Amino acid sequence: MSSFLKKVNLSGVEPYLMTALIFACAIPLLFAGRYLLSGGAVALGAISLFHTRRILASMGRIAEQRIMSGIAEERLITDDRACRSQIFSSVDTLSAGIAHEINNPLGIIAQEIQWIGHLTESPSMRGIKEAEDLRDSLREISRQVDRCKETVHKLLSLARQVEPVLQFVDVNELIRSMVIVAERQAAAKKITIVRRLESGLPVVASDPPLLRQVLLNLLLNATQAIDQEGVITVSTRSLGGEFVEIKVQDNGCGIPREHLARIFTPFFSTKPEGKGTGLGLAISRGIIERLGGSIDVSSEPGESTTFTIRVPVNSRRVNATLARG
Amino acid sequence: MEKFRVLIVDDEGEFVETIVKRLRDRGLEAEGALSGQEALDLLDEQEFDVCVLDYRMPGMDGIETLRHMKKKKPRMEVIMLTGHGSVESGIQGLQLGAYNYVMKPAPLKDLLHQMELAYERKLIEEERFKTLGAE
Ligand SMILES: Nc1ncnc2c1ncn2[C@@H]1O[C@H](COP(=O)(O)OP(=O)(O)OP(=O)(O)O)[C@@H](O)[C@H]1O
Ligand SMILES: [Mg+2]
Repeated sequence: MSSFLKKVNLSGVEPYLMTALIFACAIPLLFAGRYLLSGGAVALGAISLFHTRRILASMGRIAEQRIMSGIAEERLITDDRACRSQIFSSVDTLSAGIAHEINNPLGIIAQEIQWIGHLTESPSMRGIKEAEDLRDSLREISRQVDRCKETVHKLLSLARQVEPVLQFVDVNELIRSMVIVAERQAAAKKITIVRRLESGLPVVASDPPLLRQVLLNLLLNATQAIDQEGVITVSTRSLGGEFVEIKVQDNGCGIPREHLARIFTPFFSTKPEGKGTGLGLAISRGIIERLGGSIDVSSEPGESTTFTIRVPVNSRRVNATLARG
Repeated sequence: MEKFRVLIVDDEGEFVETIVKRLRDRGLEAEGALSGQEALDLLDEQEFDVCVLDYRMPGMDGIETLRHMKKKKPRMEVIMLTGHGSVESGIQGLQLGAYNYVMKPAPLKDLLHQMELAYERKLIEEERFKTLGAE
């Protein structure tokens, strides 16, 4: 295990981190020359933003590749929990650092965009044909800033280890309400969502908003895996009163065998740019493990994919927490 | 049922008015706001336990409002209300710290139940914070 750790050497990532930082700091400087207000400066700003995002993504990929090759060399299975938690902690440190350094410049960029937008409304700019182009361009920059913000936010929620708040949860009820949220989008692709919810399921002590987040992520992946027309089945059952099992199954594209071990890794995504950041399953697994449960996948490529979650009933733990009420 | 303080934020004045009145009838302290900005201003003056926040509003939308709210009042629990329902925006809201993401129209009874659960969560978190501080 220790030789494995040596091989998973993240130090090669540092030059990228530096580049990202330099870019991140350069953008506000670009905007600082607000009197230089011209389409050129705006375009430059957009280009540097674009690069920052690219670099963030490639840093993630490099970290992941190093980790994966380390794993291959040691012939370790990713399912080894101890090993995975070490991978996670290095990715955590990395993402928390990046997130912090990117967030502040992003805030400033957003403010400057507002300021430039305000300037384009000024009387001296009125009647200038390019002003409208400039505003279009600003709107695009805003959209890209929002996208960066969201990725940073996801990274943070991956890194942050907030202690779950346990409440009594009727799992079937929680699933029903999340299926309703997913149903409209599914229907647009002629996908039916079937509920097979076991009655008399034990009430579990868990963190409802975290569970909702995981369910929506699985439902979204399932919907995206089906091209047109298909079935998603969500089922629950009790496992001897100690665990509740939730399965989300779809008859979509399936997952190739060689991808199975990687889908929970941060930034692993087969979806087109802008469609997926590859953080959904990484976050979901983080959540389920914090809740004391497990999440597994099985897939028949071209046929179906099933995600299985097990959450502990925890009856004793919640009584302690809620006793005060 | 314990009394708690609720803030309803929605650009539909009629909806806000009705729900505020019905919550008051049930003995809760309820206030309404017709925009994200109005809600944020109200938070500077008054404390609330639970907020029900519409997702789609002109001007500052629900997500942006939620972001600001969580900065101002991290302990206030927020239930997002949505008319059209998108899985992506649900994930986004929950990730920003919303307690729930509820489809409209939600019967008042169900909404009230969610508010109670959100309030219970707030109490648990406050309790935890107190014991941490005491150690
Ligand atoms: N139900 C599924 N069917 C087929 N492939 C899946 C399914 N769920 C996940 N995958 C594969 O696993 C990858 C990682 O999923 P994950 O949810 O972590 O990221 P994403 O969906 O690509 O992006 P994000 O969730 O951040 O929007 C996906 O890109 C896809 O290749
Ligand atoms: Mg996903």
